[in-house]
Amino acid sequence: MTVTKTRDISENFKASSLRIAFLIAVVGIFALQNPAFINGASILSVIQGMVFVGIAAVFLTILITSGEFDISVGANAALAGTLAAQYVVGGEGVADDRSPWSGLLVGIAVGTVIGLINAFVVLVGNVPSFIATIAMLFIAKSLATYLPGGKPIPGYRDSWEAAGINFRESFFLKNFSIIVLILMIVIGHIVLKRTHFGVVVSSIGSNKEAARTSGTQVKRVKTILFALTGAGAGLAGAVSVLHFGSIYFSLGQGWELTAIAAIVLGGTSLFGGKGSVIGLLFGLALMQTIASGMVAVGIDPWWQTVITGGIVLATLVVEQLRRKVT
Amino acid sequence: MTNNAGYALEMIDISKSFGNTVALSNVDLRVKKGTIHGLIGQNGAGKSTLMKILSGLYPSGTYSGQIVIDGKPVELSSTLDAQSVGISIVPQETTVADTLTVAENILLPEMSRSPLKPYNKSGVIAKVAEFLKFYSIPLQPEMLTSSLTLAEKQILMIARAIYMQPEVLVLDEPTSSLTGDEIKNLFAVVRTLKSLEITTVFITHKMDEIIELCDLITILRDGKIVCQVDRVDFKVDELVSHMIGRDLGELYPQQQLTSQDAPVVLSVRDLVVGNPSKPGQPLLEPFSFELRKGEILGIGGLVGSGRTEIVKSLFGHYKILGGEVQVLGNSIKTRSVSESISHGFGYITEDRKAEGLFFNLAIKQNLTASIIDAITKISFLLKGAEKSRARVYLESLQVKPQNLDEPISSLSGGNQQKVVLGKSLITDPKILMLDEPTKGVDIASKAEIYRTITDYAKDGNSVLLISSEFPELLAMSHRVIVFSGGRFVGEISGGLENEKDLMLMAIGAVKEDSN
Repeated sequence: MTVTKTRDISENFKASSLRIAFLIAVVGIFALQNPAFINGASILSVIQGMVFVGIAAVFLTILITSGEFDISVGANAALAGTLAAQYVVGGEGVADDRSPWSGLLVGIAVGTVIGLINAFVVLVGNVPSFIATIAMLFIAKSLATYLPGGKPIPGYRDSWEAAGINFRESFFLKNFSIIVLILMIVIGHIVLKRTHFGVVVSSIGSNKEAARTSGTQVKRVKTILFALTGAGAGLAGAVSVLHFGSIYFSLGQGWELTAIAAIVLGGTSLFGGKGSVIGLLFGLALMQTIASGMVAVGIDPWWQTVITGGIVLATLVVEQLRRKVT
Repeated sequence: MTNNAGYALEMIDISKSFGNTVALSNVDLRVKKGTIHGLIGQNGAGKSTLMKILSGLYPSGTYSGQIVIDGKPVELSSTLDAQSVGISIVPQETTVADTLTVAENILLPEMSRSPLKPYNKSGVIAKVAEFLKFYSIPLQPEMLTSSLTLAEKQILMIARAIYMQPEVLVLDEPTSSLTGDEIKNLFAVVRTLKSLEITTVFITHKMDEIIELCDLITILRDGKIVCQVDRVDFKVDELVSHMIGRDLGELYPQQQLTSQDAPVVLSVRDLVVGNPSKPGQPLLEPFSFELRKGEILGIGGLVGSGRTEIVKSLFGHYKILGGEVQVLGNSIKTRSVSESISHGFGYITEDRKAEGLFFNLAIKQNLTASIIDAITKISFLLKGAEKSRARVYLESLQVKPQNLDEPISSLSGGNQQKVVLGKSLITDPKILMLDEPTKGVDIASKAEIYRTITDYAKDGNSVLLISSEFPELLAMSHRVIVFSGGRFVGEISGGLENEKDLMLMAIGAVKEDSN
């Protein structure tokens, strides 16, 4: 019996080391092709590139651990970002006296509402979350395009000046998105691994009946997780508007796939029951390294989505095979 | 406190109906503090309904009557309510979270009540280790639950229930997947609980368990209490006739003798079954046996002896590395289930939930699922043919309700099992392999299943039968071949008088040549 215990531990260890080795190998391959790949600027661009989808993916990781899904995170971010920008900028593209920070709250609020609607449809309407949130994806995405009339909303930057803050001089503001990601990762990790709630979430994803017979109110926990996932997506949208100073058309586009790829690469089970927020960080780094690396060695960026999809498929097949063996 | 001091649990005048069906009528269950109270009855007798009321799954208000815990009336509307008044129920189905550790599973109810508290992995393991040691429960707290056996998971569920320090612990058929030693471990735990004044309600079908463990039993039949019997008055025959309303002698049908010169239908010689997780390695030691026309051949052994693997290998589930299988003298190779069916094999799984039935479909669709070609014409379903083919088995197996359109999910376990049997018989197999055909099945359904198997063999077919219940195996089989730890250990003839010999062989205490 003790043998099995050490096997579990060493398997965990083996899995993490394998992931890190894989990441280093990928970086190495790109660096061999183009040595300029490893320099401060490109590393920073790798980090910046994964920040927004990363913020949205943290609570999504926990939701997936509970056995549910949210495909609408990208569209949610787009709508939340749009509404946040409209609120702060005031519609006509002229800065008024609303604080740019209030955009964050608007983003979180919009995201939470979308998350709660998802929860309602899934848990009260008994619709599989995969389907329900695809519908939400279309709704939110269309609203995000329709509301500003298909035009960008510039002028967010001006609102900092109106608030007496010099955006370009502020280290904190320039790196705000990275700070938010780090905070989210830390919070997500603590929630999942260091609280009773995290164990309960894993138990729901592993065996809903086990959770229920243990007195867990499964629907309540899942509602919280859908709301948190929505809030995280909304925050990601607002943070991106804050970072770029404007809403842009492709905001949130393809996040669902990137996020899910990063999540499964990080060792979270798409079947629920097992999740890792620290693993997500690794998954994000790997996905973004591949994306940036392909640009650095001159591969057509359209291949990027092909590779993302391929990684998701391969990871799922490997996970299914491993489940079969044990 | 002595046993006579009072009742830990009283369920007074409980009645519950589903539509027009009365599930319970005026049931009184009184369980004395600190006793082990047996609750027996066939499936459909109302045990599960009664326990669902007690666990809060059927909330207060959906039934009439009163629940009193420790002298205080309570109203239960959820599992949480039941837990908070000290009722812990271990359901029959295995409900553990595979991806968590043993310790996490045991602490799950506690963690679910205080979700905001920090989680300290090593602290939890230490706490659970101490608890497991106190009750001598043979589990390792740090182990991942997915690596436990089914029996260990059962023990884990009981440990989780005990950890909540219940006033009343309800065990619903806890031994259905356990082997001899594991049952002993479980009984030891229940006795420890008794010494700690914790009351246990023990639901079971198995008479020997009642007699070994229980202080008092209540017998339910058709939603009513038949009687309550004190330990001193336990008499197996009487208990069983109270339960089924008829005599035990009728349970097993009389087996016809097969003649030694009946033709050999199936001959297995030195078969080597491949291990699916280690390619090229054998799963069991090579084995040989013969099965004659009209014969019921039992395969005896404990869980883990390899008996299920033997029949599954004949049904195309495993790669065959060596040896030979002959059907009616012709050597055959079986690489897939469909090939095996075409050679005349039929297999009934021990796990009807996972492998046996389509739960969301009706009885008729389940019965005809394997003969879809025979009831379709150019891909169109012939509804009339579907009905008439299904009706034959609905009637001969006496499935209740006698309604072809009833969904499987609304049937009792015993009736579901009858459908599983019918689904295989309808394909008209020459060699039927049955793996635990009466697991979790009430006595009346058992009798139907026994009769069906016997008739089927009398019609000139052959049966391979696996059962953990040795009396059943011996009474039903002409011969029993016995395996222990993946190895053939011997053969004995059928008949209830050989139970002790079978047990000795199954646990590996008797070698073939010493017999």
